[in-house]
Amino acid sequence: MEKIISLIATLRWQDVIEISLLSYILFRFYVLFRGTNAFRVLIGLTVLWFFQQVAVSIGLTVTTGWSRQLLSWGPLIIIVIFRNEIRTVLQASHLKALLWDVSSKTVFSTIEIIVESVNEMAARKCGALIVFPGKDDVEELIQKGISWKGDISKEMILSIFWPDNPVHDGAAIVQGDQVVQVSAILPLSRRDDIPTYYGTRHRAALGLAEVSDALILAVSEERGDVVVARDGQLKVVKQKRKLEQILQEHKGVASKKGRELIKEKLMVAAAALFCVIFITGVWFSVSRGGDTLLTLESPVVYLKRDPSMEIVQTSVNSVSLELEGSGALIKSIKPNQVQVKFDLSKSKAGPNSFTITRESISLPPGIVLKRVTPTVVEVDLDVLIKKELPVQIDWVGRLPDHFILTETDIEPETVTVIGGKRILENISTLYTEKVPLNNLEVQGTITVNLALTPASLKIAPDSKEKVTITYLTKLRNQ
Amino acid sequence: MNYRTFMVLFSSIHLFLLLPSAVQSQSEPNGTATGDVVLVQAQMCEDIQGQTPQNATTVFSIERRKAICFTTFDPVPVETDIYHHWFHRDRPSARIKLSLKPPRWSTYSSIQFRAQDIGPWRVEITDANGQILQILRFSITE
Repeated sequence: MEKIISLIATLRWQDVIEISLLSYILFRFYVLFRGTNAFRVLIGLTVLWFFQQVAVSIGLTVTTGWSRQLLSWGPLIIIVIFRNEIRTVLQASHLKALLWDVSSKTVFSTIEIIVESVNEMAARKCGALIVFPGKDDVEELIQKGISWKGDISKEMILSIFWPDNPVHDGAAIVQGDQVVQVSAILPLSRRDDIPTYYGTRHRAALGLAEVSDALILAVSEERGDVVVARDGQLKVVKQKRKLEQILQEHKGVASKKGRELIKEKLMVAAAALFCVIFITGVWFSVSRGGDTLLTLESPVVYLKRDPSMEIVQTSVNSVSLELEGSGALIKSIKPNQVQVKFDLSKSKAGPNSFTITRESISLPPGIVLKRVTPTVVEVDLDVLIKKELPVQIDWVGRLPDHFILTETDIEPETVTVIGGKRILENISTLYTEKVPLNNLEVQGTITVNLALTPASLKIAPDSKEKVTITYLTKLRNQ
Repeated sequence: MNYRTFMVLFSSIHLFLLLPSAVQSQSEPNGTATGDVVLVQAQMCEDIQGQTPQNATTVFSIERRKAICFTTFDPVPVETDIYHHWFHRDRPSARIKLSLKPPRWSTYSSIQFRAQDIGPWRVEITDANGQILQILRFSITE
């Protein structure tokens, strides 16, 4: 429990935002793709991921590799196989539906399509007869038509009852969200009290309504009105909303609406809760896994140094950092993501001591610093000055015994160097690189470089980097 | 006193002759006057014979065992002291006090070599007030 509390205590506001954002994205995926085949495959992949985690934890090497391969291809497989389904979801949804709407595709949409279709046919005075069976089996009451089994769409309904369509005569039977039959023949009513302006289509609608609990919609091609036949009654319905209500009542949607709504809300809430718990778990396992240690040598970076000063010496050039994090995060660390930085803006000439704190180390999110070695870095700063120094030749080797070097001249005799004040205070001579005596002629000229020690010294821009030596040797006077 | 006086054999000889400057070392400055004392000759040499520096040079083989800094002052109005400061690279190695007597005076100091003395050297010749009269530069090699 204490560990959980300590984990939560380490959460930054960025982490809370990240968990919320990822949870919401997952939740939106659920809302948009629920009920689709792609969603079911996604669930399968999630189960596979858990399976892989279990396999990893108990050390099943082959299974781990196999499931990892499958998971790596999973998203691509989903996109390729279910591209049409995904496109349909994304195209059909406007921005608000993509980001916010939680309502699902329900029977209401089917009813809305039918009502829209019926209204359009009525406006066009296109006759139609649509049967919505109730609990009674109507198979034995009607003369079977042509099997259709088409998902309901406005275009399909309009085309079924189009006058030139061979199946437009007869009734279409609707079950669920499908038209299961077309061109079905209904039993005719034998009643005498039916108004004379109703023809065979209305008599057929009434006939089935008399012998079953089915609801039948009839669209008159003479008057363009919509008639509902139910319970042995014919009723003209002029308002769309009223027709929707009648159909909803017949399908039992209205009576179950409250329960369904609550059930649906509970499902959505449960899904949202699951998304938050799942993402939080994944987030903690990835970012706070703490199952991997890494020791990294990180170079020390000094920032905001006064341009008039130079770093003469540092106690270390790099520090050893012991880092902890999940295996995935540790593996993804790049050297430039980890830096030890010191601000030299307030440093003064002379020795400066810096204690390495967590603030002086930049780490990628989710990586925890366990140990740093050393904990203190000494930085010696000095003020840069110019100093003109005489040049001296650093001879090495030896001349033949009977010769002596009698004259040497250097051009230039002095060279100006730039370096730390405290260093240059203790330097009074600039030496050449080592000049071998063994190769000297009787007299001659040599051009040599200067040996800058320490290496932090630099030759001033207006001075020469090489000097010329003119020499003369003579026979030794025994 | 940090100087290697135990390694230094110094002596002064009293010469009343001005010695000709036959050899010029890598040196600066030359013929400097301080007060009434004027340095007219300063050179590194291997030996002194007959009160004259022999084999003036700027390179000494360690096998030669010693280096001599020979200086001549003219005039020397009053009795005074001068110093020869020996430096190996920039580290002081020896400081040798030498007396001058009127009217003119030649004097020298020398060091004995050790194996670790190989490298560049210099001798700063200063008056009693520490003012540098001349610097002689030389090397001890293998």
